[in-house]
Amino acid sequence: MPEADVEMKPAADDKAAEEKASEESKETVPPTPVEEIKASIALIERAVTTLEPRFTHRVLRSLTSLKRKIDFSVLRDAVNDVYSKDTLVKESLLAWLPPAPAVEASMEIDQAPLPQKTPPPQSDPLPEAEVYLRLLILTLLLSSPDTHAKSMEMAHETVEKIQAWNRRSLDPLAARVWFALGRAYELGGELADVRPLFLSAQRTASLRRDDECQAVLINLLLRNYLHYNLYDQADKLVSKTTFPTSAGNPQLARYHYYLGRIKAVQLNYTAAHTNLQQAIRRAPPAKTAPGFFQAVHKYFIVVELLMGEIPERSLFRHPVLEKALTGYFEIVKAVRTGSLTQFQSTLSTYAGQFSVDRTYTLIVRLRQNVIKTGVRRLSLSYSRISLRDICVKLHLDSEEDAEYIVGKAIRDGVMEGKVVHEKGWMECGSGKNAYGPEVSEVFGRRIGYCLELHNESVKAMRYPLNAHRKELAAAEGAREREKELAKEIQDGELDDDDGLGDF
Amino acid sequence: MPSAQLTALHNELKRAFDSPAGEQKCAPLLAQLKVRLAEAGLLLPDRNAKLEDLVFTREILEIGAFWSIRTRNVPSFDRYFSQLQTYYTDYRSLLPPSPREFPILGLNLIRLLTQNRIADFHTMLESLPQRNTDEVYENPYIKHPVNVERWLMEGSYSKVWNAREEAPAEEYKFFVDSLMGTIRNEIASCEESAYDSLPLKDAATLLFFTNKSDVVTFSQQRGWQVDFVSETINFATKGEEKIEIPKQKLIAANLKYARELEQIV
Repeated sequence: MPEADVEMKPAADDKAAEEKASEESKETVPPTPVEEIKASIALIERAVTTLEPRFTHRVLRSLTSLKRKIDFSVLRDAVNDVYSKDTLVKESLLAWLPPAPAVEASMEIDQAPLPQKTPPPQSDPLPEAEVYLRLLILTLLLSSPDTHAKSMEMAHETVEKIQAWNRRSLDPLAARVWFALGRAYELGGELADVRPLFLSAQRTASLRRDDECQAVLINLLLRNYLHYNLYDQADKLVSKTTFPTSAGNPQLARYHYYLGRIKAVQLNYTAAHTNLQQAIRRAPPAKTAPGFFQAVHKYFIVVELLMGEIPERSLFRHPVLEKALTGYFEIVKAVRTGSLTQFQSTLSTYAGQFSVDRTYTLIVRLRQNVIKTGVRRLSLSYSRISLRDICVKLHLDSEEDAEYIVGKAIRDGVMEGKVVHEKGWMECGSGKNAYGPEVSEVFGRRIGYCLELHNESVKAMRYPLNAHRKELAAAEGAREREKELAKEIQDGELDDDDGLGDF
Repeated sequence: MPSAQLTALHNELKRAFDSPAGEQKCAPLLAQLKVRLAEAGLLLPDRNAKLEDLVFTREILEIGAFWSIRTRNVPSFDRYFSQLQTYYTDYRSLLPPSPREFPILGLNLIRLLTQNRIADFHTMLESLPQRNTDEVYENPYIKHPVNVERWLMEGSYSKVWNAREEAPAEEYKFFVDSLMGTIRNEIASCEESAYDSLPLKDAATLLFFTNKSDVVTFSQQRGWQVDFVSETINFATKGEEKIEIPKQKLIAANLKYARELEQIV
């Protein structure tokens, strides 16, 4: 989280500033999508020549906003502009775009010679530029359902090309292409078939220390497994791989989300809670990615309930979440009051929604929590209550059950008290002393979090390359001067001494 | 098509399995069949395996799984089950559904319960084939373990006790004994903390014992004091454990804060 805020905002500002600058230079004409693409390609080339992947990342960050502005004709123009000569690459790229209608075809001919005249054709664009253009075409193909088959085919071809080139400067772009490939398979509903390909790619990526691809591929695989409810395999994948720490926030958020889901299924609620919380913190703002935000919160609420906590009410008033979480709100209400009947009726009303969200099985587990809350409430309000009354109040089937349930609640530390079997009642003891060693533990954990936050922010700070040289030079100069001064003083002193001696 | 020899063995196995006292006969047959299957490359099938071969192998493995339960050989059941997993998940779309699939899945669930592997139980439950959630949960073979788990978790032990005779398949009963053992221990640990003392007679009903001598032996195992005069069990009251201040830990934490703060300032 600290890394995110520190890194992303300045970069975005940079981008905005740069856009502004470029706008100004073009006499207040807003850049057309074609120009934007060209600018991006220029940036990518700069990244390759200066070995600075930062520029590529900047281009990729603007991909989402660019996606809304482009269409096939824009891309066709862009390809024509970038590839001045009629090369094989250009043909292959154009082949993926739908053939232009007759009118446009003539336009294409009109336009094609134009750029040839204006910028003198330099060297051929780099492979990175080609991959970037391919990525743009891919995102466009993916956005309409008619072209899924085509997008899959293209993604495959692109991946093969990337593997053949084997250039490290391609890695950030390759990660996006992998993602597009996974998306294509998911839309096609054939996720299971792509698994071997992803697994081998993941292996290669981790061998090459290609963090971006690795992060994307691990997430794709996890998504793949969870889609088929293969929690076992997903868990094994997680335990056998290490998620690259340098991965970007969106990937990290996804990873935490999947991890949270796996942990929740395995009843490791505390870990699930931490993971889901991380996912929420690292996710993009609610307005930009409402789907993810809602999905994470659904799990988050259920896990929080399973841990015996009640989520905050304000959460359900959040504009993005309010509607999506109605069912969950009802469940929370039922758990809070400890009413089994209300819980059951809510469960059956919203069963459809819960199974779509895949939280149904988790919510079913809440039954015992409802009972526990009920017992706890009773223990707080009565100092002595007969098992018969417990049975009636909690809608349990028999007194016998009530006795066992109360016994278990006492053992599990839900409440303090005793069962008096002969008299058939439960006596509730006094509440526990709130202060104990656990308080200092919680305090220690919080302080630890703050310190870690500080240390991470320090680590995440970026310094411009070579900027320290200047300082070094200055320092060097200062030292030189100091030395001279010292020497002078020494000389002076010596002189003095000499003088003294002479004197 | 599997070779004639394999088919013959298979038929023999089926006969032995269906006959009431065929348990001893099954063991050598299964071992023989497994060797044959391995030779035919069917034990661990690849993508090119023929459909009927797969069905054939699946049936043998299923019989093996059932046989393991009947002979109370849980590790062997575990092995058969892992081998069957391939057929139930990866080849699901290719093969016709097996009538023995849900019984075996249910048995595995019960097994996980008796071994108190609740996390695995839930993972397994999540990964059940879900054509239709209700269909799976309404399946008697699955419903039984799911209900048992729920009752165990909320503490309705008497329901578990009553359900032991309602097992949907003969094989489930093999797990009942160990399950009852688990329950008894659970109840006992609850009683230790929830009661000061308990009449012997009531303890017997709570622990599902029919005669007192069983209760007495059980109490001795758990280290309870049995008062034979008044016929009660006294649970040793654990005195209020003194909570000590973890000095060492506090000092270490404070030193750490000091060091970190020094770095910041």
